[in-house]
Amino acid sequence: MLMSFLHPFYLIAAVLLLISLTLLQGLVEQLRNRAKSFFFLTLFIVAVNPLVNHRGTHILFYFRENPVTLEALMNGFLMALSLLAILILFISYNFVLTPGRFLYLFSKILPQTALLAMLTLRFVPLLIRRLDEIKIVQKSKGMTITEGRVKDRAKNGVSLVQILLTWSLEEALQTADSMKSRGYGVTKRSSYERYTFTKNDIISIVLLLVLFAGCLIGLFNGYGNLTLYPDLESTSMGGAEWSVFVLFLLYIGFPLLVEGREQFRWRYLN
Amino acid sequence: MEILKLKNLSFSYPERDDEVLQQISFDVKKGEFLVLGGPSGCGKSTLIKLVKHDIAPAGRRKGGIIFNGKRIEDLPAEELAGEIGMVFQDPDNQIVMEEVLQELAFGLENLGYSTDYIRKRVAEMVQFFGLENLLARKTHELSGGQKQLVNLASVLLLNPKLLLLDEPTSQLDPVAAKEFITMVKRINEEFGVTILMVEHRLEELTAVADRMMLLNGGQIAYDGSPREVFFNVWDRRDEIFSAYVPSIPSLSLHLNENPEVKEIPLSVKEGRMWLSGINGFSAEQQPLPEAVNVRKVLSCDSVCFRYERKGENVLSDLNIDIYSNEIFAIVGGNGSGKSTMLKTMAGLINPQRGTIRFKNQKLKKIPKQEFHLSVAYLPQNPKLFFLHDTLEEEWSRAIERTNDENGNEKMNRITEMLGISHLAEHHPYDLSGGELQKAALACLLVSDPEVLLIDEPTKGMDPLSKQKFGELLTDLHFDGHTIVMVTHDIEFAAEYATRCMMLFNGQVASVSDPRSFFAGNTFYTTSINRLVRGSNLQEVITVKEALASWRVQASIQV
Repeated sequence: MLMSFLHPFYLIAAVLLLISLTLLQGLVEQLRNRAKSFFFLTLFIVAVNPLVNHRGTHILFYFRENPVTLEALMNGFLMALSLLAILILFISYNFVLTPGRFLYLFSKILPQTALLAMLTLRFVPLLIRRLDEIKIVQKSKGMTITEGRVKDRAKNGVSLVQILLTWSLEEALQTADSMKSRGYGVTKRSSYERYTFTKNDIISIVLLLVLFAGCLIGLFNGYGNLTLYPDLESTSMGGAEWSVFVLFLLYIGFPLLVEGREQFRWRYLN
Repeated sequence: MEILKLKNLSFSYPERDDEVLQQISFDVKKGEFLVLGGPSGCGKSTLIKLVKHDIAPAGRRKGGIIFNGKRIEDLPAEELAGEIGMVFQDPDNQIVMEEVLQELAFGLENLGYSTDYIRKRVAEMVQFFGLENLLARKTHELSGGQKQLVNLASVLLLNPKLLLLDEPTSQLDPVAAKEFITMVKRINEEFGVTILMVEHRLEELTAVADRMMLLNGGQIAYDGSPREVFFNVWDRRDEIFSAYVPSIPSLSLHLNENPEVKEIPLSVKEGRMWLSGINGFSAEQQPLPEAVNVRKVLSCDSVCFRYERKGENVLSDLNIDIYSNEIFAIVGGNGSGKSTMLKTMAGLINPQRGTIRFKNQKLKKIPKQEFHLSVAYLPQNPKLFFLHDTLEEEWSRAIERTNDENGNEKMNRITEMLGISHLAEHHPYDLSGGELQKAALACLLVSDPEVLLIDEPTKGMDPLSKQKFGELLTDLHFDGHTIVMVTHDIEFAAEYATRCMMLFNGQVASVSDPRSFFAGNTFYTTSINRLVRGSNLQEVITVKEALASWRVQASIQV
């Protein structure tokens, strides 16, 4: 959706809605940490696009004898907004879809792969903690990657990773024993988690499908997509366009409504 | 009725002629609590791995293992996984999942139980263990003791009839170890689960075990109730196993001329009753050895350290001076900052505030390389120390670092003294924990460091190795090295340290010579000290001291 509706109003609205969603979910810290990089990324795309893309008829000015067109600028702007919306959406996605839920969703289709993915996920922070420990111990032998010539540092770095791998492999053997001794791979795995389908879930799915279909129909009829080439279309919206816009807002804003309803109930109806 | 029967069990590893286990036969009765002990490499871990058939090591096995009337290799995989549970030594490595709840359910999920059943079992077990508060936690955030309890619960969920434990408390501090053993005892008593536990630390187990078996060189050396075993060890004047007898029974065996099996005290309570029935000890205060020629070598001056900017202080305003020629023991609970303190003193992590001085010189002003050679650091896990494929190479690199012309000779002398010169060709990972520690120690000693900082040297060591290591420390101390060690092991600190310090909440809670240090503590002290407290006898903290200062007729037997 976010990649098809290339229209400034739609995308600005989507970005705003998604920011509200992350804020409502209490992910202020995550959003703040990434704000700077998101900003520069957006700026970069907006700035670079007109420099490499010279299509369009409205020439604003010449940059080193190359035309900078309004169309290209708008194109860059839309691409940047679309990407920004997706990035913000992922903050919320990571919060909602925990590894446990991920495992549950995929363990029906790919049980072994899902478990492997879980184990790998657990391994990454484990390896980082171990590497820190190794660094401290090796520092006492004068092996460091923070001082000295670049060549030596690189060599030391490789040695540290080498210890990390030998050590971790050895430890992993014990993990394998522990898994085996608790019957891993003996029969088909079952699951502790039980996410049941409630009436609310069904209503939500139906609503989302209707909204999605509405948006798609609008899209196929040429709404919600700014024509850039050969000539930039006006951004103003007519009557039918507005109704598609509302459908789009409802679709993107759906999680916000669900989340908002919960918080409202919690705050005022308790 | 016996649940497990071993018949003439022999085992040898591939490409090795020597048998790790030789013709071992014994029965384990249903509901029995059996403790297996013995020096490292005596085959006890191999034995319990053979019983848990699905993780049995590769090699040649002779003889039979009968579980519940069936040969172990005939048991279907599901039954084996469910009926024989196993908890391993390392708390971290046996955890598979990221969250505690997932970890608990792991085994049940593997065996394909229905969701309803899994939830019911988990709910029950969580209540029994009191793990409610840990359920949503990440497994790596737990302390070692909590991890081991989670591992135990996770295994118990499968409803095992026989529970195998491979040195489960060797990586835990004494408080956590006690808690773990209490839990195992409850499982044994309340559910009738048969327990087969391999363990070095017999002190905590004597009161709870029904039966004790000591292995040596792949054969059963002693078998019987704890009292019988201790009596027989003493009776035969067994040098290997005398270190296995915990201090209270050991003291009573030393002092009684004709001890009787039934009268050997095992706990402090029994010990006090035994002491009150005996008179005639004349107390004589042994003078403390006087300190000569001491000077400050290492000092911490209001040191503060935290790992994260917003985290809590691990060390807060720590002040301590270490003098030349002492064995300085730092004791304290888990997470009190002991290891962190040692690392700051070794110059491996920089405190945010405060200064560390080496011979009155600020650490920052001393060239790093030079400092690390004179203040050497032996990590808790010596595996992390080694980079190369053989010890020889590691040693020659250590010699290079010192720029010493006579380095080779020196290294030869050191490895000879440590008794590891024959291991030069070995890969570090092929060595036992104790050998590895000595190999790393050799690398440090070649630069003739003034101070040796040692982190948890006795973790996972069997009693005899511990005694030998203690003697080694004393030797190094006589050679003029200052030794600073962090340890959980109170008995070890009491026996070998010349000064003890308790770290609490990142600060020095108390510091003094071992005798007054431990005599002043009620809980954090040796069992001998707890035994004699309040009696009319001279207060002592170790068996050795008791025998020396209580002039008794029994001294012939020492």
